[in-house]
Amino acid sequence: MAALVVVAVIDWPVEATDFANRLDPPSGTHLLGTDQLGRDVLARVLGGVRWTVGLGAAAVLVSVVIGTAVGLATGWLDGTRARIVGTLVQSVVDLVVALPALLVGLLVAAVLGPGLAPAMIALVVMGWAPFARLAHRLTVTARTEEWVVAARSLGAGPVWILRVHVLPAITGPLREAFTARFVGAMLTLAGLSFLGLGVQPPTPEWGAMLAEGRTYAFVAPWLVAAPAAAVVLVSALAGRSRIR
Amino acid sequence: MIGLALRRSALIPLVLLVASAVVFCLSRLLGGNVTRSVIRSRSLASAPDPAAEARLAAELGLDRPLRDQYLAWLAGAVRGDLGRSFTTRAAVGPEVLGAAGVSATLAILGLAVALAVAVPAGVLAADRPGGAGDRAVDRLGAVVLAVPEFVVGPVLVLVVAVWAGWLPALGWGTPAQAVLPVVTLAFFPAALAARLVRAETRVALAHPSTTTAVAKGLTRRRVLAVHVLPRSLTAVLAEAGPFLAGTLGGAVVVEVVFDVPGLGRLLADAIGSRDLPTIQAGLVVVLAVALVLTLATELLGRALDPRLR
Repeated sequence: MAALVVVAVIDWPVEATDFANRLDPPSGTHLLGTDQLGRDVLARVLGGVRWTVGLGAAAVLVSVVIGTAVGLATGWLDGTRARIVGTLVQSVVDLVVALPALLVGLLVAAVLGPGLAPAMIALVVMGWAPFARLAHRLTVTARTEEWVVAARSLGAGPVWILRVHVLPAITGPLREAFTARFVGAMLTLAGLSFLGLGVQPPTPEWGAMLAEGRTYAFVAPWLVAAPAAAVVLVSALAGRSRIR
Repeated sequence: MIGLALRRSALIPLVLLVASAVVFCLSRLLGGNVTRSVIRSRSLASAPDPAAEARLAAELGLDRPLRDQYLAWLAGAVRGDLGRSFTTRAAVGPEVLGAAGVSATLAILGLAVALAVAVPAGVLAADRPGGAGDRAVDRLGAVVLAVPEFVVGPVLVLVVAVWAGWLPALGWGTPAQAVLPVVTLAFFPAALAARLVRAETRVALAHPSTTTAVAKGLTRRRVLAVHVLPRSLTAVLAEAGPFLAGTLGGAVVVEVVFDVPGLGRLLADAIGSRDLPTIQAGLVVVLAVALVLTLATELLGRALDPRLR
């Protein structure tokens, strides 16, 4: 985790071309070989951490903030009107959760055109819903706990109670859900980029690199293998840290 | 039950109407310069001259008010005419339906392969907790769930088609060409379904009715097949409908990797070249299928499991 952050911060020479050594197999100078423009594949894979892992995490982070705010609000508010709004929000949540991730990506790309910004918007559009559902459920449970009732009878306002008494009580499950959703978001982003609908080349995003490398799969299989291994490695590691 | 089915199916055209209007208007308002993208997809001119752009806009009807454009599209759609592609000028309707047929074949085959592997694996894993099958579902399942289709596809192409040369890497039409796309598509649902079936089977095994069946002296196989299996399929069936619907549009990765002329690839290409009529028609078809399948699986689930009624 910390290693990934370090790798993401460093500026790797992702665009340095060396036309004399194009499509070189892995060797001592280029540990993972070079691509069709003589760019070092290892540098590009490491440089891709910032895009694939960083953007995936950023999208989930925004989703957590939006979803938690919505869930806290719908879970806390009482009364007929609030309940109608809550039911409406929950049915939107149900709809969004049921949609396949790539389909949402296609939908947003259909409306806004392909690109990095539409892909990120798509990730957030589908990302907030599960957090809203979770935060809603947790808040409904928390509001009946004695300490919340006690705080309320002491005259604490709703914002204070939510921030001081409810939010800390529900961050554990939310953090759990963050890692669970992160893998999905990262894979969706890479998938969209693979299709040419997300991050565009020459940016070294792993999905985009895979798509580019596919053209040269016959002569330079390392162009496919390197980004593929990177994606699988990170998603497997994140999946394992979730179980612990 | 029938009342619910009627109520819910009456909603479907309404949802489709609203969704088609939203997609239609938003894609024209927010989508950037459509005529320029279309010209770019037809020729290699990066900066076409304004006169050509204006002529094309008039030809495609993009210079008319948005409301008129949508009503004209709707009037055509009701008669079964979904317009002509911006880029190829071919009729969109037949093209989308043909592609949807290919995607449906791919999705059904993929799901069938996945279930054929996952259901026995899940039941056997639950029958022997901690056994080889149980561990395989755990470990293999975790690996498969971590590997996305855009990795499985190219790696399978590399290993099976390029190095081993056993199967063709690209195309669609012959059974040999269908193997790799179907297998790639089946990976993820197989892992998911195996875990679902295992969890449900554990619950079903612990149920009193199972104890009764065992006490009656039935063979283990008969208990599993007749008394446990039907109970453990409800969760998988609930997932199967959305999966089929998602595959129709969402198998785009598999279709791109293996050059399968399905709906997902048609949509992805159309989005790339801003071919709005194709996008519109494709999305409406995908959405319609998704709504119908979701309703169908819900009704099927209720029919199978009395507790849901």
